[in-house]
Amino acid sequence: MSGFIQTLLFSILLLININVSAALPTAIDGNNLPSLAPLIKKVSPAVVDITVSGGNKTSPQDSKDLLDFFRPNASAQSKPRPQPFSGLGSGVIINAQKGFIITNYHVIEHADKIIITLISGRQHEATVVGQDPQSDVALLQIKSKTPLVAITFADSDKLQVGDFTIAIGNPFGLGQTVTSGIVSALGRSGLNLQNLENYIQTDAAINSGNSGGALLNLKGELIGINTAILGPNGGNIGIAFAIPANMVKNLAQQLSEFGEIRRGILGIKGGEVTPELAKSFELDINHGAFIYQVTPNSAADKAGLKAGDVITSVNGTNIRSFAALRAKIGTLSAGKKVILNVMQDDQEKTITVILGGKGSTSLTTTTKSPTIIFEGAILKDAEKGQLIPGINVAQVERNSDADRLGIVKGDVIIAVNRTKVTNQQQLIAELKKAKNMRALNIMRNNRPIYIILD
Amino acid sequence: MKLKHYSNYLIKPILGGLFLAGIIIYSPIIFKSVSNNSSYQPEVISYSDAVKKSAPSVVNIYSQQYIDSSVGNKQQLQPTGLGSGIILDAKGYILTNYHVIAKADQILIALQDGRLFTATIIGSDTITDLAVLQVDGEDLPVMPQNPDYSPEIGDAVLAIGNPYNLGQTITQGVISALGRSGMSSTGRQDFIQTDAAINEGNSGGALINSRGELVGINTSEFYTGTSNVTYGISFAIPYRLVSHVMKSIIKNGRVIRGSLGIEAENLDPLVARLWGLEAKNSIIVKKITDGGPAHRSGMQKNDIILKIDDKDAINLIVTMDKIAKIKPGTNTKITILRQGKEQILDVEIGELQQ
Repeated sequence: MSGFIQTLLFSILLLININVSAALPTAIDGNNLPSLAPLIKKVSPAVVDITVSGGNKTSPQDSKDLLDFFRPNASAQSKPRPQPFSGLGSGVIINAQKGFIITNYHVIEHADKIIITLISGRQHEATVVGQDPQSDVALLQIKSKTPLVAITFADSDKLQVGDFTIAIGNPFGLGQTVTSGIVSALGRSGLNLQNLENYIQTDAAINSGNSGGALLNLKGELIGINTAILGPNGGNIGIAFAIPANMVKNLAQQLSEFGEIRRGILGIKGGEVTPELAKSFELDINHGAFIYQVTPNSAADKAGLKAGDVITSVNGTNIRSFAALRAKIGTLSAGKKVILNVMQDDQEKTITVILGGKGSTSLTTTTKSPTIIFEGAILKDAEKGQLIPGINVAQVERNSDADRLGIVKGDVIIAVNRTKVTNQQQLIAELKKAKNMRALNIMRNNRPIYIILD
Repeated sequence: MKLKHYSNYLIKPILGGLFLAGIIIYSPIIFKSVSNNSSYQPEVISYSDAVKKSAPSVVNIYSQQYIDSSVGNKQQLQPTGLGSGIILDAKGYILTNYHVIAKADQILIALQDGRLFTATIIGSDTITDLAVLQVDGEDLPVMPQNPDYSPEIGDAVLAIGNPYNLGQTITQGVISALGRSGMSSTGRQDFIQTDAAINEGNSGGALINSRGELVGINTSEFYTGTSNVTYGISFAIPYRLVSHVMKSIIKNGRVIRGSLGIEAENLDPLVARLWGLEAKNSIIVKKITDGGPAHRSGMQKNDIILKIDDKDAINLIVTMDKIAKIKPGTNTKITILRQGKEQILDVEIGELQQ
C-alpha cells in the first residue's frame, strides 16, 4: 500500500513541478535569456524618423513693427520676418501599400517640408494627407519604390493597467530608440481641456522627438501613439501619454477618406458620475458619463437619450469617464452607428445612435450648451399634470455656476421675468430675448422667489 | 492479502499509468510557454493581476491647512499637501509618510472607488518618517501582505501612487539595492532602492512585488532635500520596518525605542590591535549625553563596548538595533573595556526622544 501511495505522491509532485515552471514563462532557461530583440527586429522598420522645416513658426509682432517705424536705426534683426525652424519627431507606417504614416499634429505643425527617414536610411519627402489639431494626429504619405513595413493595430480597449509597453521613437534626434515600461493608467485626460484626450499613461522613457512614435504591446502591435510627457524639467520622469490605437485607427481612416475629420456629434452635455451624484440619483454604478442635457433634435435626442441617463459603454467597451466618451465620440465620423449601453430610469438599455455631423442642429459634446449660466444644474421639463407647471431642477452640482447663482435642487423655474416657461427650449429662448435684466421666477417650497442673473 | 496483491499488481500500475498519461496529454499545453524558446516568442504577460490585487488599497491623501483668508478675518481650509497612503488593515488603518501629513489640520482620504473620508491621526514616527491614520469605513480594500517575503536585489517591483495628482499611476522597476529594516534605521541608506519612477505625490504609496504583495512604502522626500534631481533612484521604507512601526503606534501611540544616550563609532580593527584587542569587532563611545542612562552608569568617553547582556557588540548598527529594542526602564549589563581592563556597568535603558 505504501508503495502505491509513493507512486501517487510522486506523480502528483511531478505535475505540481510542471505547473510551477509554467507559471514563470519568462524564467531564464539555460541560455535563452528573454529579450525583445527578435520582436524589435520585426517591427522597427515600421517606425520612422521625421524631420520638418518651415519658415513661419513665429508670427510677426505688430508692436515691434511700430517700434521699428519710430526707430529707423533699429537693427534689421528685430524686423518681423518668418523665422526658419526645424523640428524632429517620429512616425509610424500604418499602410505599406499606400505609404501612410501616422504622427502627431504638433510634430508637423507649420512645416513646409517633411522628410521621412526609414530605418534603412532612405529618405522620402512626405505630403500631408490630413490633420486634426484637436486630437493631435496627422496622416502623412510617402511614395516608396521599395516595399514598406506597416505596423499592425492592437485593440487598445483591451489594455489593462500593468501590461508591458514598448516605445519606439527618435528621442533628441539620436536615432531609433527602444524603451520599455508598463501601462501606468488608462483614460487619462485633462492635460489640455480643448483637446480630445483619452490617453494611455506609461512609464516607458519618452522624450522630445519621441512624439508620433509607436507604443507597442509585447506582440509588437500598436497600442498607441506617443504624444506628450509630464516633465517639470523638460525630460522624462516616468510619466508619458499616448493616444490609444483605436482612436488613431478611426482618425486615420477619416483622414485618408476625407482629408479631414468629420467629427461625429452626439448632442449631449454631461459630466462625470461622482460618488455624490451616484448617491443622490441612487445609481448603482461608479463609472460612465452622466447626461445633464440633451440637445433637442440632436442625434441623442432622436435615439431617445434623456437628461439623467448614464452612458456606461460605447460599442461594447466600458466608458470610464465623460472625457473618455468625448474622446471616443469625437474620433468617430458623422453618420457612424454607435451602440450605447445606458442606465435610464433604473433600467439598463441598449440605445443605437447615428451620430450627427457638422451643420446638424445638435451640439457637439465639446460645445457648451446655451444654458451655460446653469452649468451644473440638471433640468427636467414640466411633466403633464404637474402641480406647479415649470422646469424642475433635478440636481445641482456643488460649486457649479448654478450653485453659485443660488439655484437649489427641487426648485421649479416657472418664468423668466414675466414670461412663463415649461420647457428648456422656452427657457433658452426667453433668456436670449430678455435684454436689460433677467430674473428667474422660481417656486421653492411653494413660495415664489426670484434670482437675478445679471 | 488479496487486496494488497491487487493493489500491487493491478491498481498501482493502472493509476500510475493514468497519471503518466495525464502528464503526457497536458504537457504540450503546460510546456507551450517554454518550448517555443528556440524561436523566441514573447509571452503576453502582464502585471495586471498584481495591480488588481493591490491597487485599490492605495489611497490618495490630501492635507488641508487653515490659512488666513484675504476676505475678512476668517481662516479657510486650503489643500496644502499631496500624497498617497496604504490601507493595511480592515479596521481602516492607513500608513503614509509623516511628511505628507506633518502640517495638516485636516486630512482627506480618497479611495479609488470614489469614496472620500476624513482621517484621524493615530500616531507618527519622525525617525522612520511614517504616520498611521485611521478612517471609519466599511468593506475597505486591504493591501495584500506576506511576512514571509524577503525582498532581493533584482526583484521586479511596481510603485503605486498619485504623482502630481494625476490619478492613480503604476510604474515599474527592480529592486536596485537593499538596506536594513532594523529598528534604529534612519535615512536612505537603510531603505530599499528602486528604479521605478517615484515622483511628488507618490510619497506614502506602495511598492509591491509581481504577486501584488507589499514590499515597502515609497518616499519621494529625499528629492526635495537636494537640488540635484535624479531619476531612476528612488527609495522605499521596507515592509518589515513599516509593520513593526505600525503595530507599535497602534499599541502605544508612538514608537518606543531604548536609548543609552551615547554617540559611538565602529572600532577600527587596526586601532583595536594597537590597543591589544586581537582586532576584535566592537564599538567605541565618542560622546555621552549629560544625565543620560550611560552617563548615570558611569560610562566615559573612549570606553569600548564589548558586550550588551552577554552578547557581543559586533558593530554599531547591530548594537544600536539591539538597544533600540530594549524596553526603557530595563536594567542592562554592559561590558566595557577601559584602559585595558574589562568592567561591567549596570545601565537603566532610557527612551529615545524624537
